[in-house]
Amino acid sequence: MKKTNIILMILASTFIISCESNTYNDIAVISTNPTYTKNIAPVVKANCISCHAGGSQYPNLETYDEVKDATQNGELICRIDQSQACGKVMPQSGSMPKTTIDMFLLWKQQGCLN
Amino acid sequence: MKKFFSFVFVFFTIGYASAQDDLLNQLNAEKSNVKDKETTAFKGLQICNIQSTKMTAKGEWYMVISHRFGDLTEGLDNFFGLDNALTKIGGIYGVTDWLSLGASRHTYNKIYEVTAKYKLADQITNGFPVSIVGYNTMDINSALSTDMYPNLKFNNRLAYSSQLLVSRKFSEGLSFELGGVYVHKNLFDDAQELKDQYLVAAGGRCKLSKRLSVNLDYAYKINQLESAPLYQNPLSLGLDIETGGHVFQMVFSNSQPMNDVAVFTNATGKWNGGSLYFGFNMYRVF
Repeated sequence: MKKTNIILMILASTFIISCESNTYNDIAVISTNPTYTKNIAPVVKANCISCHAGGSQYPNLETYDEVKDATQNGELICRIDQSQACGKVMPQSGSMPKTTIDMFLLWKQQGCLN
Repeated sequence: MKKFFSFVFVFFTIGYASAQDDLLNQLNAEKSNVKDKETTAFKGLQICNIQSTKMTAKGEWYMVISHRFGDLTEGLDNFFGLDNALTKIGGIYGVTDWLSLGASRHTYNKIYEVTAKYKLADQITNGFPVSIVGYNTMDINSALSTDMYPNLKFNNRLAYSSQLLVSRKFSEGLSFELGGVYVHKNLFDDAQELKDQYLVAAGGRCKLSKRLSVNLDYAYKINQLESAPLYQNPLSLGLDIETGGHVFQMVFSNSQPMNDVAVFTNATGKWNGGSLYFGFNMYRVF
Protein backbone atom coordinates (compact mmCIF):
# COMPACT_ATOMS: atom_id res chain seq x y z
CA MET A 1 0.00 0.00 0.00
CA LYS A 2 2.77 2.37 0.99
CA LYS A 3 4.64 1.49 -2.17
CA THR A 4 1.76 2.36 -4.47
CA ASN A 5 1.18 5.61 -2.62
CA ILE A 6 4.74 6.74 -3.18
CA ILE A 7 4.60 5.80 -6.86
CA LEU A 8 1.38 7.74 -7.30
CA MET A 9 2.92 10.73 -5.55
CA ILE A 10 5.89 10.69 -7.90
CA LEU A 11 3.68 10.40 -10.95
CA ALA A 12 1.47 13.22 -9.73
CA SER A 13 4.38 15.51 -8.93
CA THR A 14 5.90 14.94 -12.35
CA PHE A 15 2.86 16.45 -13.96
CA ILE A 16 1.84 18.96 -11.36
CA ILE A 17 3.71 21.85 -12.94
CA SER A 18 1.12 21.93 -15.75
CA CYS A 19 1.25 20.39 -19.16
CA GLU A 20 0.01 23.30 -21.17
CA SER A 21 2.02 23.47 -24.38
CA ASN A 22 3.23 26.46 -26.38
CA THR A 23 4.91 26.70 -29.74
CA TYR A 24 8.07 28.69 -30.37
CA ASN A 25 5.83 31.19 -32.17
CA ASP A 26 3.92 31.77 -28.96
CA ILE A 27 6.94 32.70 -26.89
CA ALA A 28 8.88 34.63 -29.51
CA VAL A 29 8.07 38.17 -30.46
CA ILE A 30 8.34 38.13 -34.21
CA SER A 31 10.30 41.08 -35.44
CA THR A 32 9.35 42.54 -38.80
CA ASN A 33 12.80 44.07 -39.21
CA PRO A 34 15.34 41.80 -37.54
CA THR A 35 18.84 43.15 -36.96
CA TYR A 36 22.11 41.39 -36.25
CA THR A 37 22.71 42.82 -32.80
CA LYS A 38 19.19 42.43 -31.53
CA ASN A 39 17.93 39.23 -33.15
CA ILE A 40 20.54 37.26 -35.05
CA ALA A 41 23.55 37.40 -32.74
CA PRO A 42 21.83 35.76 -29.72
CA VAL A 43 20.71 32.84 -31.90
CA VAL A 44 24.15 32.40 -33.44
CA LYS A 45 25.73 32.58 -30.01
CA ALA A 46 23.40 29.94 -28.60
CA ASN A 47 23.47 27.54 -31.56
CA CYS A 48 26.58 27.94 -33.69
CA ILE A 49 29.45 29.48 -31.75
CA SER A 50 30.33 26.33 -29.82
CA CYS A 51 31.88 24.97 -33.04
CA HIS A 52 31.98 27.85 -35.54
CA ALA A 53 34.49 29.96 -33.65
CA GLY A 54 38.23 30.30 -33.37
CA GLY A 55 38.69 28.63 -36.74
CA SER A 56 37.72 25.16 -35.55
CA GLN A 57 34.83 24.74 -38.00
CA TYR A 58 34.37 26.55 -41.29
CA PRO A 59 32.84 29.13 -41.54
CA ASN A 60 33.67 31.25 -38.53
CA LEU A 61 30.51 32.95 -37.22
CA GLU A 62 31.81 35.25 -34.52
CA THR A 63 31.28 38.70 -36.01
CA TYR A 64 28.62 40.58 -37.97
CA ASP A 65 30.73 40.48 -41.14
CA GLU A 66 31.33 36.75 -40.89
CA VAL A 67 27.66 35.92 -40.32
CA LYS A 68 26.60 38.31 -43.09
CA ASP A 69 29.05 36.75 -45.51
CA ALA A 70 27.96 33.21 -44.67
CA THR A 71 24.33 34.25 -45.12
CA GLN A 72 24.71 36.13 -48.41
CA ASN A 73 27.50 34.20 -50.11
CA GLY A 74 27.84 31.03 -48.09
CA GLU A 75 25.61 28.10 -47.22
CA LEU A 76 24.31 29.33 -43.87
CA ILE A 77 20.67 29.62 -44.93
CA CYS A 78 20.41 26.34 -46.76
CA ARG A 79 22.20 24.46 -43.98
CA ILE A 80 19.77 25.61 -41.30
CA ASP A 81 16.65 25.38 -43.49
CA GLN A 82 15.76 21.73 -43.94
CA SER A 83 13.54 22.46 -46.98
CA GLN A 84 16.53 23.79 -48.96
CA ALA A 85 18.83 20.97 -47.85
CA CYS A 86 22.35 21.49 -49.17
CA GLY A 87 23.86 19.03 -46.74
CA LYS A 88 23.14 17.82 -43.24
CA VAL A 89 21.01 20.13 -41.18
CA MET A 90 22.65 22.54 -38.76
CA PRO A 91 22.90 22.63 -35.79
CA GLN A 92 24.01 19.01 -35.82
CA SER A 93 22.05 17.99 -32.77
CA GLY A 94 18.76 19.06 -34.37
CA SER A 95 17.11 21.75 -36.42
CA MET A 96 16.29 25.16 -34.94
CA PRO A 97 12.60 26.02 -34.66
CA LYS A 98 10.92 27.18 -37.86
CA THR A 99 10.30 30.64 -36.34
CA THR A 100 14.04 31.19 -36.01
CA ILE A 101 14.79 29.96 -39.53
CA ASP A 102 12.15 32.31 -40.93
CA MET A 103 13.79 35.18 -39.08
CA PHE A 104 17.11 34.44 -40.82
CA LEU A 105 15.33 34.38 -44.19
CA LEU A 106 13.72 37.74 -43.48
CA TRP A 107 17.02 39.18 -42.27
CA LYS A 108 18.69 38.14 -45.50
CA GLN A 109 15.80 39.50 -47.58
CA GLN A 110 16.10 42.91 -45.94
CA GLY A 111 19.82 43.08 -46.59
CA CYS A 112 21.34 41.76 -43.34
CA LEU A 113 20.92 44.85 -41.16
CA ASN A 114 23.40 45.31 -38.38
CA MET B 1 67.00 -20.82 4.04
CA LYS B 2 66.00 -20.13 0.48
CA LYS B 3 64.43 -23.57 0.31
CA PHE B 4 62.47 -22.86 3.44
CA PHE B 5 61.03 -19.68 1.96
CA SER B 6 60.04 -21.30 -1.27
CA PHE B 7 58.42 -24.07 0.72
CA VAL B 8 56.45 -21.54 2.74
CA PHE B 9 55.51 -19.67 -0.41
CA VAL B 10 54.28 -22.79 -2.20
CA PHE B 11 52.47 -23.96 0.89
CA PHE B 12 50.60 -20.72 1.28
CA THR B 13 49.66 -20.35 -2.38
CA ILE B 14 48.24 -23.84 -2.42
CA GLY B 15 46.43 -23.06 0.77
CA TYR B 16 44.93 -19.95 -0.76
CA ALA B 17 43.99 -21.69 -3.95
CA SER B 18 42.15 -24.49 -2.24
CA ALA B 19 40.42 -22.05 0.10
CA GLN B 20 39.24 -20.15 -2.93
CA ASP B 21 37.80 -23.32 -4.42
CA ASP B 22 35.93 -23.98 -1.22
CA LEU B 23 34.40 -20.53 -1.27
CA LEU B 24 33.43 -20.86 -4.91
CA ASN B 25 31.81 -24.18 -4.21
CA GLN B 26 29.87 -22.68 -1.36
CA LEU B 27 28.66 -19.93 -3.65
CA ASN B 28 27.53 -22.43 -6.25
CA ALA B 29 25.78 -24.53 -3.66
CA GLU B 30 23.96 -21.47 -2.35
CA LYS B 31 22.89 -20.38 -5.80
CA SER B 32 21.26 -23.66 -6.76
CA ASN B 33 19.14 -23.61 -3.61
CA VAL B 34 17.73 -20.15 -4.25
CA LYS B 35 14.78 -20.35 -6.61
CA ASP B 36 12.88 -17.09 -6.37
CA LYS B 37 13.78 -13.86 -8.18
CA GLU B 38 15.44 -14.18 -11.56
CA THR B 39 18.66 -12.19 -11.80
CA THR B 40 18.24 -8.99 -13.78
CA ALA B 41 17.69 -9.29 -17.51
CA PHE B 42 20.19 -6.56 -18.34
CA LYS B 43 23.60 -5.73 -16.95
CA GLY B 44 23.43 -1.97 -17.48
CA LEU B 45 20.78 0.50 -16.38
CA GLN B 46 20.43 1.33 -20.07
CA ILE B 47 20.22 -1.07 -23.00
CA CYS B 48 21.86 1.47 -25.33
CA ASN B 49 19.88 4.68 -25.23
CA ILE B 50 16.68 3.30 -23.73
CA GLN B 51 16.41 2.33 -20.06
CA SER B 52 16.52 -1.33 -19.14
CA THR B 53 14.58 -2.97 -16.31
CA LYS B 54 17.65 -3.17 -14.10
CA MET B 55 17.32 -1.30 -10.82
CA THR B 56 19.91 0.03 -8.43
CA ALA B 57 20.06 -1.71 -5.07
CA LYS B 58 19.07 0.16 -1.92
CA GLY B 59 21.67 2.71 -0.89
CA GLU B 60 23.72 2.36 -4.06
CA TRP B 61 25.14 5.40 -5.82
CA TYR B 62 25.71 5.29 -9.54
CA MET B 63 27.74 7.83 -11.38
CA VAL B 64 26.96 8.16 -15.08
CA ILE B 65 29.16 9.70 -17.71
CA SER B 66 28.10 9.43 -21.34
CA HIS B 67 29.37 10.91 -24.55
CA ARG B 68 27.98 10.99 -28.06
CA PHE B 69 30.49 12.23 -30.56
CA GLY B 70 29.56 14.19 -33.65
CA ASP B 71 28.59 12.77 -37.00
CA LEU B 72 30.69 9.68 -37.61
CA THR B 73 30.03 9.67 -41.34
CA GLU B 74 31.90 12.93 -41.93
CA GLY B 75 35.12 11.01 -41.48
CA LEU B 76 38.40 12.86 -41.12
CA ASP B 77 36.80 16.28 -41.54
CA ASN B 78 35.70 16.25 -37.89
CA PHE B 79 37.87 13.28 -36.96
CA PHE B 80 34.92 10.87 -36.91
CA GLY B 81 32.91 13.11 -34.66
CA LEU B 82 35.49 13.91 -32.03
CA ASP B 83 35.15 17.64 -32.69
CA ASN B 84 31.49 18.00 -31.75
CA ALA B 85 30.77 15.80 -28.77
CA LEU B 86 27.79 15.94 -26.44
CA THR B 87 28.24 14.99 -22.80
CA LYS B 88 25.94 13.76 -20.09
CA ILE B 89 27.05 13.66 -16.48
CA GLY B 90 24.84 12.58 -13.63
CA GLY B 91 24.10 10.45 -10.62
CA ILE B 92 21.50 7.90 -9.61
CA TYR B 93 20.63 6.88 -6.06
CA GLY B 94 18.77 3.78 -4.98
CA VAL B 95 16.31 5.01 -2.35
CA THR B 96 14.95 1.50 -1.89
CA ASP B 97 15.36 -1.70 -3.89
CA TRP B 98 12.37 -0.77 -6.01
CA LEU B 99 12.86 2.99 -6.39
CA SER B 100 15.75 5.05 -7.68
CA LEU B 101 16.07 8.75 -8.35
CA GLY B 102 18.51 10.39 -10.70
CA ALA B 103 19.64 13.74 -12.03
CA SER B 104 21.90 14.61 -14.91
CA ARG B 105 23.14 17.51 -16.97
CA HIS B 106 23.32 17.34 -20.77
CA THR B 107 25.23 19.47 -23.23
CA TYR B 108 22.29 19.32 -25.62
CA ASN B 109 20.12 22.40 -24.94
CA LYS B 110 21.88 22.65 -21.53
CA ILE B 111 19.24 20.28 -20.23
CA TYR B 112 18.90 19.19 -16.62
CA GLU B 113 17.11 15.86 -16.49
CA VAL B 114 15.54 14.42 -13.35
CA THR B 115 14.40 10.82 -13.36
CA ALA B 116 12.48 8.30 -11.28
CA LYS B 117 12.58 4.58 -11.90
CA TYR B 118 10.42 2.15 -9.97
CA LYS B 119 9.97 -1.60 -10.11
CA LEU B 120 6.43 -2.87 -10.26
CA ALA B 121 7.06 -6.61 -10.65
CA ASP B 122 9.96 -9.07 -10.69
CA GLN B 123 10.45 -12.00 -13.00
CA ILE B 124 10.29 -15.15 -10.87
CA THR B 125 11.89 -18.42 -11.85
CA ASN B 126 9.03 -20.85 -12.55
CA GLY B 127 6.64 -18.04 -11.59
CA PHE B 128 5.75 -14.60 -12.83
CA PRO B 129 7.11 -14.40 -16.40
CA VAL B 130 8.28 -10.78 -16.71
CA SER B 131 9.83 -7.83 -14.89
CA ILE B 132 7.88 -4.58 -15.07
CA VAL B 133 9.45 -1.20 -14.46
CA GLY B 134 8.12 2.33 -14.71
CA TYR B 135 10.37 5.22 -15.68
CA ASN B 136 9.67 8.93 -15.72
CA THR B 137 11.89 11.75 -16.82
CA MET B 138 11.53 15.51 -16.69
CA ASP B 139 13.78 17.79 -18.72
CA ILE B 140 14.52 21.38 -17.84
CA ASN B 141 15.89 23.20 -20.88
CA SER B 142 18.20 25.90 -19.59
CA ALA B 143 19.42 27.03 -23.02
CA LEU B 144 16.23 29.00 -23.76
CA SER B 145 16.60 32.65 -22.93
CA THR B 146 14.30 35.61 -22.74
CA ASP B 147 16.64 37.46 -25.11
CA MET B 148 15.44 35.23 -27.90
CA TYR B 149 11.98 34.45 -26.55
CA PRO B 150 10.57 37.40 -24.60
CA ASN B 151 7.37 35.53 -23.68
CA LEU B 152 9.23 32.59 -22.19
CA LYS B 153 7.78 31.18 -18.98
CA PHE B 154 9.40 28.56 -16.75
CA ASN B 155 6.81 26.02 -17.86
CA ASN B 156 8.08 26.24 -21.43
CA ARG B 157 11.40 24.77 -20.38
CA LEU B 158 9.88 21.44 -19.33
CA ALA B 159 9.41 18.23 -21.25
CA TYR B 160 8.40 14.83 -19.94
CA SER B 161 8.62 11.20 -20.82
CA SER B 162 6.72 8.37 -19.16
CA GLN B 163 7.68 4.81 -19.88
CA LEU B 164 6.43 1.38 -18.93
CA LEU B 165 9.06 -1.26 -19.57
CA VAL B 166 8.48 -5.00 -19.58
CA SER B 167 11.39 -7.40 -19.88
CA ARG B 168 11.93 -11.11 -19.90
CA LYS B 169 15.12 -13.03 -19.44
CA PHE B 170 14.81 -16.07 -21.67
CA SER B 171 18.09 -17.67 -20.76
CA GLU B 172 21.38 -16.73 -19.14
CA GLY B 173 22.48 -15.05 -22.34
CA LEU B 174 19.32 -13.70 -23.95
CA SER B 175 16.90 -11.02 -22.75
CA PHE B 176 14.22 -8.92 -24.40
CA GLU B 177 12.35 -5.79 -23.46
CA LEU B 178 9.18 -4.13 -24.73
CA GLY B 179 7.99 -0.73 -23.70
CA GLY B 180 5.28 1.86 -24.12
CA VAL B 181 6.45 5.47 -24.18
CA TYR B 182 4.62 8.78 -23.93
CA VAL B 183 6.50 12.02 -24.53
CA HIS B 184 5.06 15.44 -23.80
CA LYS B 185 6.68 18.78 -24.54
CA ASN B 186 5.62 22.05 -23.03
CA LEU B 187 7.40 23.82 -25.87
CA PHE B 188 7.39 22.40 -29.37
CA ASP B 189 8.00 23.48 -32.94
CA ASP B 190 4.68 23.00 -34.69
CA ALA B 191 6.36 22.93 -38.10
CA GLN B 192 8.53 19.97 -37.16
CA GLU B 193 7.11 17.99 -34.25
CA LEU B 194 4.08 17.10 -32.14
CA LYS B 195 3.55 18.10 -28.53
CA ASP B 196 2.39 14.61 -27.58
CA GLN B 197 4.13 11.61 -29.02
CA TYR B 198 3.46 7.91 -28.42
CA LEU B 199 6.02 5.24 -29.11
CA VAL B 200 6.52 1.51 -28.85
CA ALA B 201 10.03 0.59 -27.80
CA ALA B 202 11.88 -2.69 -28.03
CA GLY B 203 15.31 -3.83 -26.96
CA GLY B 204 17.39 -6.91 -26.48
CA ARG B 205 20.63 -8.21 -25.08
CA CYS B 206 22.65 -11.16 -26.26
CA LYS B 207 25.65 -12.30 -24.24
CA LEU B 208 28.80 -13.13 -26.16
CA SER B 209 31.01 -14.07 -23.24
CA LYS B 210 31.14 -13.63 -19.49
CA ARG B 211 31.94 -9.94 -19.71
CA LEU B 212 30.71 -9.01 -23.15
CA SER B 213 27.25 -8.59 -24.66
CA VAL B 214 25.64 -7.09 -27.75
CA ASN B 215 22.62 -4.86 -27.24
CA LEU B 216 20.06 -3.38 -29.59
CA ASP B 217 17.21 -0.96 -29.02
CA TYR B 218 14.60 0.68 -31.22
CA ALA B 219 11.50 2.80 -30.83
CA TYR B 220 8.67 3.25 -33.30
CA LYS B 221 6.64 6.45 -33.37
CA ILE B 222 2.93 5.64 -33.46
CA ASN B 223 1.85 9.18 -34.29
CA GLN B 224 4.01 11.36 -36.48
CA LEU B 225 3.74 14.80 -38.04
CA GLU B 226 3.20 13.85 -41.67
CA SER B 227 4.94 16.77 -43.29
CA ALA B 228 8.15 16.43 -41.31
CA PRO B 229 10.50 13.62 -42.18
CA LEU B 230 13.29 15.31 -40.19
CA TYR B 231 13.03 13.22 -37.03
CA GLN B 232 13.66 9.50 -37.29
CA ASN B 233 12.82 6.50 -35.15
CA PRO B 234 15.79 5.90 -32.84
CA LEU B 235 17.81 2.75 -33.47
CA SER B 236 20.91 2.01 -31.40
CA LEU B 237 23.42 -0.79 -31.37
CA GLY B 238 25.70 -1.30 -28.40
CA LEU B 239 28.41 -3.42 -26.87
CA ASP B 240 28.57 -3.90 -23.07
CA ILE B 241 31.93 -4.47 -21.48
CA GLU B 242 31.87 -5.28 -17.82
CA THR B 243 34.94 -4.48 -15.77
CA GLY B 244 34.55 -4.95 -12.03
CA GLY B 245 32.72 -1.90 -10.70
CA HIS B 246 32.13 -0.39 -14.12
CA VAL B 247 29.77 -1.16 -16.92
CA PHE B 248 31.13 0.32 -20.10
CA GLN B 249 28.76 0.53 -23.05
CA MET B 250 29.84 1.47 -26.54
CA VAL B 251 26.95 2.77 -28.58
CA PHE B 252 26.22 3.49 -32.23
CA SER B 253 23.01 5.44 -32.66
CA ASN B 254 21.15 7.75 -35.00
CA SER B 255 20.41 10.05 -32.07
CA GLN B 256 23.14 12.31 -30.81
CA PRO B 257 21.29 13.74 -27.77
CA MET B 258 21.00 11.38 -24.80
CA ASN B 259 18.04 12.67 -22.78
CA ASP B 260 15.06 10.35 -23.21
CA VAL B 261 12.75 13.01 -24.65
CA ALA B 262 15.18 13.84 -27.45
CA VAL B 263 16.20 10.23 -28.09
CA PHE B 264 12.57 9.27 -28.67
CA THR B 265 11.45 12.30 -30.64
CA ASN B 266 14.46 14.25 -31.95
CA ALA B 267 16.76 11.70 -33.54
CA THR B 268 18.07 13.37 -36.69
CA GLY B 269 20.43 10.68 -38.00
CA LYS B 270 19.62 7.82 -40.32
CA TRP B 271 21.10 4.33 -40.45
CA ASN B 272 20.68 4.12 -44.21
CA GLY B 273 22.70 6.98 -45.60
CA GLY B 274 22.50 9.67 -42.93
CA SER B 275 24.34 10.81 -39.85
CA LEU B 276 25.44 8.26 -37.27
CA TYR B 277 26.82 8.91 -33.85
CA PHE B 278 29.28 6.91 -31.82
CA GLY B 279 29.66 7.24 -28.09
CA PHE B 280 29.69 5.46 -24.78
CA ASN B 281 27.88 5.20 -21.45
CA MET B 282 29.97 4.62 -18.39
CA TYR B 283 28.46 3.56 -15.10
CA ARG B 284 30.40 3.45 -11.87
CA VAL B 285 28.83 2.00 -8.72
CA PHE B 286 29.69 3.24 -5.27
